[in-house]
Amino acid sequence: MATLGKDSNTTNGRTIIGESILVNGRLDGDEDLTVRGRVEGNINLTKTLVVESSGIVKADVSVRNCIISGVVVGNVTATESVELTQEGRMVGDIKSPRVIIVDGASFRGRVDMGDLEAPRSVGDRPRVAPAPAPVRTSTVVTRPSAPVKPASVPAVIKPASAPPAPPLPPAAALANAKRKVIVKRKK
Amino acid sequence: MANTVIGSSIMIDGEISGDEDLVIQGTVKGKISLKESLIVEGSGVVEADIETQNVEIGGQVTGNIVATDKVELKSDCRVVGDIKAPRVLIADGASFKGNVDMDRK
Repeated sequence: MATLGKDSNTTNGRTIIGESILVNGRLDGDEDLTVRGRVEGNINLTKTLVVESSGIVKADVSVRNCIISGVVVGNVTATESVELTQEGRMVGDIKSPRVIIVDGASFRGRVDMGDLEAPRSVGDRPRVAPAPAPVRTSTVVTRPSAPVKPASVPAVIKPASAPPAPPLPPAAALANAKRKVIVKRKK
Repeated sequence: MANTVIGSSIMIDGEISGDEDLVIQGTVKGKISLKESLIVEGSGVVEADIETQNVEIGGQVTGNIVATDKVELKSDCRVVGDIKAPRVLIADGASFKGNVDMDRK
C-alpha cells in the first residue's frame, strides 16, 4: 500500500480520475484535471481539463483549456481553447475563443467563438489600416515631387508587366498594392 | 501507487465511487464508495460517509467510516464520526471522536 509521504511528493498538482472511478456531483479546482473515468455533473477549473480516451464526462464544463480524447456530453466553455482530438467525441456546445477539431473527431453541437472580425476582401484591403501608406506613396510616385519615389517608378513598372513579385512577402504585398494603383493611373 | 489522485486545490461535492485506490489531497463532500483503498492525505478534508475496503487517514474526516478490512488513523489526523471495521489502528497523536464497532457481520 502506498505511504502518505511518497504520494504527496509525486503529484505535481495534477489530479487524475482513474478509469474505474465515478464522480457524481460538482468538481471545482485550481489545477489540471485528467479524467480517465466517469464524471457527471459540473466541472469548474481554472486550468486544463484533459479527457482521455477512456474518460466519459457528462457534465457542463467551464475551464481554461480543454483537450478531449474521450466522450463529453455537455456544454464546454473555455477561456482559452478547446481541442477535440482524433478519438474525441462530443455532443454539446463549445464556447471558446480558439477551437481545434482534429480530423477524425466526432462532434455535434454549436460553436461560439465570440466576436469575429469582418472578413477582408482584396478590394477592401487598401482602405484598411495598412493601406494608407501605399496609397500615399503611390500618389507621391506619380507626381515626382518626392526625390526617392520617382526612382522607384520605372523599377516598379517593369515588374508590373512581369507579375512575379519581389522575394519578401510584405514588400510584395506593398509592391502589389503600389503596382495595382500605378497601372490604373497609367491607364 | 494509486491511480486516482484528487489534488489539493480540487473540491468535489457529490458522490465518488470506483474500483480502485483513491488518494485525496483536496476536499470532498458527499459520499465515497470504493472497493479498494482510500487514502486521505494531510491536506485532505473529507466530509462524507466512506465505504471502502481499507482506509488510511492522515487528514481531516468528518463522517462515518465503514471498512471491510482495516481503518488506520495516522498521527495528525482528525476524525469525527463512527468507525465500523474489523481492524482499527489509531496512532499516537491522532484525534478522534466517535464510536468504534469492530464486530464482524
